Amino acid sequence: MNMQTPVDTTVINGVTYNAEAGQRPLQVDGCTTIAGLFKKRCAELGDRTVHREKDLGIWNAYTWNDYWDHAKWIGLGLRKLGLKRGEVVSILSEDRKEWAYFDMGIQSVGGIASGVYTTDSGSQLNYIVNDSDSRFLVVENEEQLDKFLTHEDDMPGLIKVIILEDEGLHDLNHPRCILISELYEIGKAVDAAEPDLFESEIDKAKAQDTALLIYTSGTTGMPKGAMLGNENIMAAVEAGARRLQCLETDNQLCFLPLCHILERDVSIYFPLAAKCVVNFAESPETVFNNLQEVSPDTFTAVPRVWEKIYSQVLIMVQEATPMGRAAYGLAMKAGQKRAGYMMEGKPVPSSVAANFWFWDRLVLRNLRRMLGFDKMRRGGTGAAPISPELLKWYWSIGVPLVEGYGMTETAGLATMNTRHDNTVGTIGKAIPGYDLRIAEDGEIQTKGLNNFQGYWRNNEKTAETFTSDGWLRTGDAGRLDEDGFVTITGRLKDIIITAGGKNITPAEIESRLKFSHYISDAVIIGDRRKFLTALIMIDQENVEKYAQDLKVPFSNFASLCAAKEVKDLIGAEMNAVNKEFARVEQIKDFRLIDVLLTAEDEELTATMKLKRSFVEKAHSHLIEEMY
Amino acid sequence: MSEPILKIRNIESFYGPIMAIRGVSLDVHPGRIVSILGANGAGKTTLMKTISGVMDPEKGQILFEGLEIQGRDPHKVVHDGIVHVPEGREVFPVMTVEENLQLGAYTRNDSRGIERDRELVFDYFPILKERRTQEAGTLSGGQQQMLAIGRGLMANPKVMLLDEPSLGLSPLLVKEIFTILKRLNEEQNMTMILVEQNARAALELAHDGYVMEVGRIVMDGTAEELMKSEDIQNFYLGVQEDGAREERRWKRKKTWR
Repeated sequence: MNMQTPVDTTVINGVTYNAEAGQRPLQVDGCTTIAGLFKKRCAELGDRTVHREKDLGIWNAYTWNDYWDHAKWIGLGLRKLGLKRGEVVSILSEDRKEWAYFDMGIQSVGGIASGVYTTDSGSQLNYIVNDSDSRFLVVENEEQLDKFLTHEDDMPGLIKVIILEDEGLHDLNHPRCILISELYEIGKAVDAAEPDLFESEIDKAKAQDTALLIYTSGTTGMPKGAMLGNENIMAAVEAGARRLQCLETDNQLCFLPLCHILERDVSIYFPLAAKCVVNFAESPETVFNNLQEVSPDTFTAVPRVWEKIYSQVLIMVQEATPMGRAAYGLAMKAGQKRAGYMMEGKPVPSSVAANFWFWDRLVLRNLRRMLGFDKMRRGGTGAAPISPELLKWYWSIGVPLVEGYGMTETAGLATMNTRHDNTVGTIGKAIPGYDLRIAEDGEIQTKGLNNFQGYWRNNEKTAETFTSDGWLRTGDAGRLDEDGFVTITGRLKDIIITAGGKNITPAEIESRLKFSHYISDAVIIGDRRKFLTALIMIDQENVEKYAQDLKVPFSNFASLCAAKEVKDLIGAEMNAVNKEFARVEQIKDFRLIDVLLTAEDEELTATMKLKRSFVEKAHSHLIEEMY
Repeated sequence: MSEPILKIRNIESFYGPIMAIRGVSLDVHPGRIVSILGANGAGKTTLMKTISGVMDPEKGQILFEGLEIQGRDPHKVVHDGIVHVPEGREVFPVMTVEENLQLGAYTRNDSRGIERDRELVFDYFPILKERRTQEAGTLSGGQQQMLAIGRGLMANPKVMLLDEPSLGLSPLLVKEIFTILKRLNEEQNMTMILVEQNARAALELAHDGYVMEVGRIVMDGTAEELMKSEDIQNFYLGVQEDGAREERRWKRKKTWR
């Protein structure tokens, strides 16, 4: 197995790690590879539950043994069909237990797992499959299968396409398509013939092997595949364990795309170490209901989700009885007072604690139960900036919410706030064992075992991403305070140089705008222009509510955006933000994007952020109107 | 275009705690046929009932010829000139055709006008004249629908609310009734709001259209514009997108643009 030179170890929540973080050989419970850890856990935990999935309204539990068996059949089956070590398998599916089965099965036989967003179009899939030179493609259902079928002649490198759900496909007879049940059968046959093959394949894995490929959306040009090795992921797991307490008894909810490094770390790799249970949400639309049902112990989401939950509560409060509203107001006051101490890491005075206890019993506890937050020890947020007010609100209702930062190229983690070491408005300190510096131009640069291996077959881009002395360029500009907390100020390459020659980082203004409940996202325009302007994506739910309360007539989304009152509302938000910035950084004009964008649209990333270049192109007529 | 005869602004209607209409605004111009499309439970019938006064909205305004009529008693709304032809016809089965028509004129007292309108109804629906002494319950479904429309006309309305006139009728009868509705619109300049499941028939007849989904309007435009929309074609007109396989079952997500 993983025979390594002995190093000093420490035990965190029942799992053994190196005493010193970020050191080679990086071991988690003595394992240096993901597949190795997977094997160890399955053997240890056997009949314990690892996944839950809802089927026809019932949450079913699946054990580590199920995890092991299915991953084994998948791995052996793929190997039999022609997968070689170092070759890629693409997975095009929503989150489900089979996603994890495939991830482990592929890695166990030395393959590289690469996720594709289900919102990607057929031609985007085609690009990723060919660029990664995928041998196999896993598709969830007939909808995803059709993306392959429309481009099948352009993907000659694919040996087989594996279909997870056969609904509507009973009559399918295609030489390159097989159902997952057939793959299991092939795997079982191989296992019967060579019972030790799977484990010996797992033992061949090395810390430096590439384990997964993650395509980054890339605001310019085609997506690039970032290669992450076993060691990178293990470094993230180690840092995660040190910064984000996770217990064996924890329940989590998996709902962000597993193609994204954040959810992949949190829902597949961290639980391998922590032994906790992952519950898969039914669909992106049912997340809030699933959250109530599961009531997770820790919950990691993007700011959009935290904002949504907050606005739901606000709407509920507005529609409550006067007494309910008053109680909520008093409870929030008590919560805020306590949160003020807690967020700064100060002890809470007993009078404040007693007051909170009272209002917690009366109001806040019920609120948390309604939201599915009653067991929550910690909420996490990342992948986009979040408003400090929102963080404070969550702390006030008794949900400690901390912000972190990471990117695919840092294996998902780079800096973290924790419950006890938290500075609001910053992204926290560098994770243990990871070095971070601010370059002369303000760029945040990192060095450590988290840093990815490079872009798949793209040495030129890889070289651009590292400095000559081996530090990773994150592309984000920021500053470091004396305690080591990092604040992000913007994206370096997004810097706008106005016609007046002034350098402006739009992200700072954009994230201030986004903190408004009525603005879901914004893009600042102004490169080589006389002044700054903005394209605004409004928050549909909150603006609709506002319009209804003010009796502003509208029929559909476009007419909502066209309403004068709505424009005034956004204008007022804009003015409030403008006051915080110097004159040249103020926005002189804005337009609302009057189409309701969905994840399928090019203008949005899978995490619902606006993509600057696409927005500028698609809405150039709006931009020209302003100049 | 002229000033709308009927303006609806931010109507919200509830069934107990359930919000069935969540802020609907729409305009109906005189002489136009406005069609409201939507799946079951979208709130179309609730909207009709709210306009005709059978239900009172929690919030919002309904302006008929510039006057607020929301929350008024149904018979006053009829008197003002809005008549509701309900879903499932609801004629009085044991009364004769003639008596049913007479009831339609309940709010009027100009006997000469009533007589004239009865002739008008018989002119548009000759079959009703033939069966004038027959009990309404013995009529066929199509004839009952004609009677329901005729009964509505007897109130001499300015706006007719037609809730699923094609319900349960054969395609031929639907065609016949829709032809009559078209004539009524053209010859009598009758303004109509038409709720329909049969989207194709509705859009062919109507000038303007609104699409409702879970209590909100998600799309509006002229009937022509709506017919061209990919979403309408896919979800209401049954046009199949070209797919990779013939037996494709999944549908793409609605975007309503």
